[in-house]
Amino acid sequence: MSSETLDKEGVTRRDFLGLAAFGAAIFSALSVIAGTLRIFKPNVHYEESKKFKIGKPENFPEGTVRKIDERNLFIFSDSDGIYAITAVCQHLGCIVYTTEWGFQCPCHGSKYDKEGNVIGGPAPRGLPWFEITQNVDGTLVVNAGKEVPKGTKYIFA
Amino acid sequence: MLSRFYLSLLLLSGLVFIAFITLATYRELTPEWKKYQAEYREMLIKNAKDEAAREKARRIKIEQQQIYLAGLKRVDRCMNCHIGVDNPLMADAKVPFKQHSGDYLKNHPPDKFGCTICHNGQGRATNKKEAHGKGRDTHWDFPILPFKYIQNSCAQCHDYETLRHKGGEMVVKGERLFREKGCKGCHKVNGIGGDLGKALDGIGSQPIAYFPMRHVVGEQTTYNWLKQHYLDPRAIVPDSEMRVFLTEEESDLLTTYILTFRTTEVPREYRRIRYVPERRVDGESLYKMYCIACHSTGKVSVYDEILKRTIPAIMNPAFLKNADDGTLRKIIKEGRKGTQMTAWKSTAAGLTDGEINKLIRYITRERPDEAAEPFGFAEFKTDPKHGKELYDVRCALCHGEKGKGGKGALGINLTNPVVQKELDPEFLARTVRDGRSGTPMPPFGEEGLGLSDQDIADIVSYVRTLAQKK
Amino acid sequence: MGDMSGLSKFKENLLNLKNSFLASFLRSGRLTSDKSKASVMFNNFFLHIQGVKTHINTLRPTYTFGLGLITFFLFVIVVLSGVLLMIYYHPSVEEAYNKIKDIIYVVFGGRLLRNIHKWSGEGMIVFMILHMARVFYTGSYKKGREFNWVIGVVLMILVFGLNLSGYMLPWDQLAYWALLIVANIIQSPKEITDSLGITQYFDIGGFFKELFLGGTVAGQESLTRVYLLHVWLLPLFLFIFLAVHFWRIRKDGGLTKPDEFERVEGDLSYVSPPEKKGGLFPTYKTYGLMELAHGRTPAVDKDVENTVLSWPNLLLAELAVFMLTLAGVLVYAYYVDAPLKELANPLIPENPAKAPWYFLGLQELLSYSAFMGGVGLPGLALLGLALIPYLDREQEYVGIWFSNRQGRIVALQAFVVGTIVNIGILVFVVNLGWFRDWWPNVPQMLITLVNPGNIWVAFMIAWSAMVMKRTGSTRMGAIALFTMFLVSYVIFTAMGTYFRGPNWEFFWSKSQWPIH
Repeated sequence: MSSETLDKEGVTRRDFLGLAAFGAAIFSALSVIAGTLRIFKPNVHYEESKKFKIGKPENFPEGTVRKIDERNLFIFSDSDGIYAITAVCQHLGCIVYTTEWGFQCPCHGSKYDKEGNVIGGPAPRGLPWFEITQNVDGTLVVNAGKEVPKGTKYIFA
Repeated sequence: MLSRFYLSLLLLSGLVFIAFITLATYRELTPEWKKYQAEYREMLIKNAKDEAAREKARRIKIEQQQIYLAGLKRVDRCMNCHIGVDNPLMADAKVPFKQHSGDYLKNHPPDKFGCTICHNGQGRATNKKEAHGKGRDTHWDFPILPFKYIQNSCAQCHDYETLRHKGGEMVVKGERLFREKGCKGCHKVNGIGGDLGKALDGIGSQPIAYFPMRHVVGEQTTYNWLKQHYLDPRAIVPDSEMRVFLTEEESDLLTTYILTFRTTEVPREYRRIRYVPERRVDGESLYKMYCIACHSTGKVSVYDEILKRTIPAIMNPAFLKNADDGTLRKIIKEGRKGTQMTAWKSTAAGLTDGEINKLIRYITRERPDEAAEPFGFAEFKTDPKHGKELYDVRCALCHGEKGKGGKGALGINLTNPVVQKELDPEFLARTVRDGRSGTPMPPFGEEGLGLSDQDIADIVSYVRTLAQKK
Repeated sequence: MGDMSGLSKFKENLLNLKNSFLASFLRSGRLTSDKSKASVMFNNFFLHIQGVKTHINTLRPTYTFGLGLITFFLFVIVVLSGVLLMIYYHPSVEEAYNKIKDIIYVVFGGRLLRNIHKWSGEGMIVFMILHMARVFYTGSYKKGREFNWVIGVVLMILVFGLNLSGYMLPWDQLAYWALLIVANIIQSPKEITDSLGITQYFDIGGFFKELFLGGTVAGQESLTRVYLLHVWLLPLFLFIFLAVHFWRIRKDGGLTKPDEFERVEGDLSYVSPPEKKGGLFPTYKTYGLMELAHGRTPAVDKDVENTVLSWPNLLLAELAVFMLTLAGVLVYAYYVDAPLKELANPLIPENPAKAPWYFLGLQELLSYSAFMGGVGLPGLALLGLALIPYLDREQEYVGIWFSNRQGRIVALQAFVVGTIVNIGILVFVVNLGWFRDWWPNVPQMLITLVNPGNIWVAFMIAWSAMVMKRTGSTRMGAIALFTMFLVSYVIFTAMGTYFRGPNWEFFWSKSQWPIH
């Protein structure tokens, strides 16, 4: 209004007030949006432990393959020891099956050799191997959260 | 030109909002447990044996810990603070970092069992006060269990044989107390037991509001209520009729045992209950289980201040001499209406005929060989009027003018239906004649007390009319 | 342009992207002239609900106190926070309580979010009632706004319904027992049908209770229904009625103002007046199309010199009030946690089992007679509220707080007398009881008809009839009645909230409650 004195060089006091006020409003809006997006990210997962028992070593005699269906996992046992390979295809998460030359995924045709290395199809990486440990009472425990290098086989008493 | 008033309002509100959203974010990002996890990491780094271990410790992420137990329908976040619970390096650390004591975790790995299945407390909570659930203002019904009661949790999965030898002896001893103090004389469990008290099924899973906490000293918790209630029932529930006499230690044992009565059942895969052949129950155990709380030794009858009546001495030879098995069976099966004596037949308090027979055999084991001399009530021609004259002089002093006994009176209430209808007059007449030794009831037939058999018959016939006279 | 290649045109367009996008977005060019400031209002879907010009009276903070706007902004906050809560909440009796706990303990900002949702929801009730009082005392239900007042009453019912249904979702002890109490309020017409002996043929109360609970007891079915009401049905109706509410304000020519509006010193500090006279919107015109409209609704050509452009005046004021609301809710939610009690337990009632605070006035009335407190008197109150604009048709003094000096006196008298009489009735009941305490066998019908709640309502009506007779004005009668209504809502609510303890007995303070 007429009483307002304009500072020709820069901003008036009122302009500063306006800038600050709208600045605060915009900052507030941004913080609300950021907080809202953060709320969508869950802090905890309602999933059971990635470690699970699979039984005693004698349940896995040499030369056998067993599929643990509820965990999507193959347990192999050969002369070098016991090892665990996932049954989840690394392309888009289908479940592979064993063939005489390795693993075959039914969905998009990924092929893996017996070690789980990719030999065909779209899969970007080989099937991971998981760590196996033994409890004090002798049961074997697979940790599907921990990968080990391919070829790591365990020998248990 | 914008209005200065509204601009200022906008600026001020905006600044307040920014200030508080900053505060709120800070509060959100610095929960109690992060401090503990950071301290834990520092401890691991400091105590690391070699560089590899140190590097491993450095890589520990500070994050929300959670054990999700689909089978147990629980979510436990205790390890947010009790982070070293399964780390052997933390055996001598201070709480909350300390490793779990004993070797319990060997067979109960936390990622399968969690914490609250044994310790109670609020597993979902992420701060100390609410996780431990202490204090009514946390609104949590199952606060963390003190160690002295913790064995009750073992009984969810383990049978008593295992408990006896492997660290559950408090439950086993408590169970024995429960059996031998006659608790089921008044409390039903699984449908069997008396009716005077509340049924005890699921009592360990009841919310705190179920218990009248008004007079409880200290923390208002289920276990404190139970224990204080065993030490002095009437201090906790003023009009309680519970007859229980336990030492401090016994109260703790019984509390531990009673807490095992839960409604929640853990899934089969967790349970380790072996088949245990049913205990052979003899007359003595039955007596202890159902009768002893009121009748105690059964040798003397005394006026009981708690029940406000005379408790008859049911194992007194004089009584047994007079009462044949049929009479006893009738009393036990039907109870005594108007008194605390419950009807024990299978459709009421739930004892089988076999069990009642065993009880009778136990009660009557000291019955004198020779039976009481028959009275022959049926042969007398009775005169209730004469009976009343005699009653008023000889009997009313103890049994009350109307036969109702009453407070402070020595005699029992004669108007109850058992005396009035169910008992044989012959039995009553013999009792008047021979008295009841061990009780204040004298033998009126003896010389000196001077009632003739005709007098006694008249009195009995009058007594049988008492209930009709209002 | 012909000599430009396609690529250079493309380059040109790319450089102009910002301006061309903004122009298409705003449709009005840069906001430098009155024309562009006006067109931004009527070219924008969201802004066109408001007029191009706004009366100075509307922007005077002491006229409206921004109450209706605050209620609306609280609703916006409640909807947004509610959607966020829905990410983690799950309406099942096994999981609901645990999910609320998880929202509190492990969702980022969950505790704050829940508090914001809870308090802005209850804040809606407070500000809605204050807004209603403002509209009433400034006579803003008159002159074509009668039906909008009725819509306001409908909105009030919906807001109460939303709050109540939300109260039940955590499935804790508070929720469960409130659900049960409400179900029994719904059932309360049974008191009448029982007295008439016709319940077995015509059980209207039981019928509605079954509709509400999905059974005869509260359980999963009830939770499903309440959840549906809370997140879908009631909000949908609220959106619809709110849109109509706003639209009608616009069609009625904006907020009310006095017929003889006079600027006072300081009015201009809330607005920036049109920059120059003459222009596209000279001060003697409101806005174009409305001059062609017939009817008596819009304030065409009236008081034009006291209007200013809505952009930026009104929008700045609205933004400021929104920010104020947001900040207020945040500060309150930061310090005060929404309650959550033990898991619902159908066997162990809370003692006292209290409804949420905004219904505790009703619960006090309910303690006299279930039907009258639950259905009769609230129904009468809502009907009375809705009918006010049709029973008081005096058209003077619109836009002036309390109409005139006489109105201020009538309101003050009603306030003082109402407070004394209402508290007097409560003191009487607390000390001496009522019929059933004196004659235990008194028929229920007599209590339903004659109880302290009814007596209070009868007194209010009699007092306002007396005022009408004395002043010869229906507006004065309405002021007296409405004032007493507000007084008793506050007093009964305070009574139920602060002075009633276990077994609904009177206590001076909660510290005297016997410990269970």
